[in-house]
Amino acid sequence: MAMAVIDVVEERRRRRLAGDPRMTDAGRDIFERITRGDLADEFQAALDADLVADPLLGGHPVDPD
Amino acid sequence: MLIIDEYLAMRVLGGRRWPEGLPKTEDLVLPTSRWWRLLQRIHAPGSGQLSRILSQLDPSDRDTLRYPHPEVLQILDSRPLLDEAAQIGSRFRGGWLVDETLAAGLHHGRCLWFGTDRNVGKLLASAADELGITIHIAG
Repeated sequence: MAMAVIDVVEERRRRRLAGDPRMTDAGRDIFERITRGDLADEFQAALDADLVADPLLGGHPVDPD
Repeated sequence: MLIIDEYLAMRVLGGRRWPEGLPKTEDLVLPTSRWWRLLQRIHAPGSGQLSRILSQLDPSDRDTLRYPHPEVLQILDSRPLLDEAAQIGSRFRGGWLVDETLAAGLHHGRCLWFGTDRNVGKLLASAADELGITIHIAG
C-alpha cells in the first residue's frame, strides 16, 4: 500500500516537471521567451500597466483626508 | 502548497526548464489576481511584439493559461481569504493584487515565490517584511 502511495506522488511530480501536456513545442518556446528571454521586458511592462489601468487591482493613491 | 507569480506559472506550464530553487514536490498555486493579468495578455492584447506573438499561439497553448491543468498549476480560491485580504488592504493600500497575494502568503507557509524580483514591487516587499512573509526568487 505504501509503495502505491509513493508511486502516485512520484508520478504526479513527474507530470508537474514535464509541464502542461497540451503545450506545443512552439508554445513552450514562446513561454520561455516571455519569462526568460527577449520578451521579458515587454511582459513586465504589460503586467505593470495592468496595475495602473485598474485601480481595484493596483490600488488607489492614499487620500490624506 | 506554494504561492507563485505569473513568471513561474508560465515557466512551469511550458516545462522547458524547472525554475532553479523552486521545490518540486509541492502543489503550485497562482492567485486569481495574477491569473487575471495573464488572461489579459490573451483576451485584451496590446499592439506590441508580445501581443503579436501571443496571438500566434496554438489554441491548445492558450488553453493552458485559460484552463490550467490542476496537476501542473492550480488557481487560488480566494474566498476564505477575503476578510484577511481586506484587512491587509486597509493597512497597506496596495490593491487587490497585493492584498490577495499577501493573504495567500500568510496562509500558505508565510512564503511567496516569484520568477523575478522585478515582479515583486516595493509595496509588496515592504508589507511582506512587516507581516513576516519570506519572498523567494526562483530563476
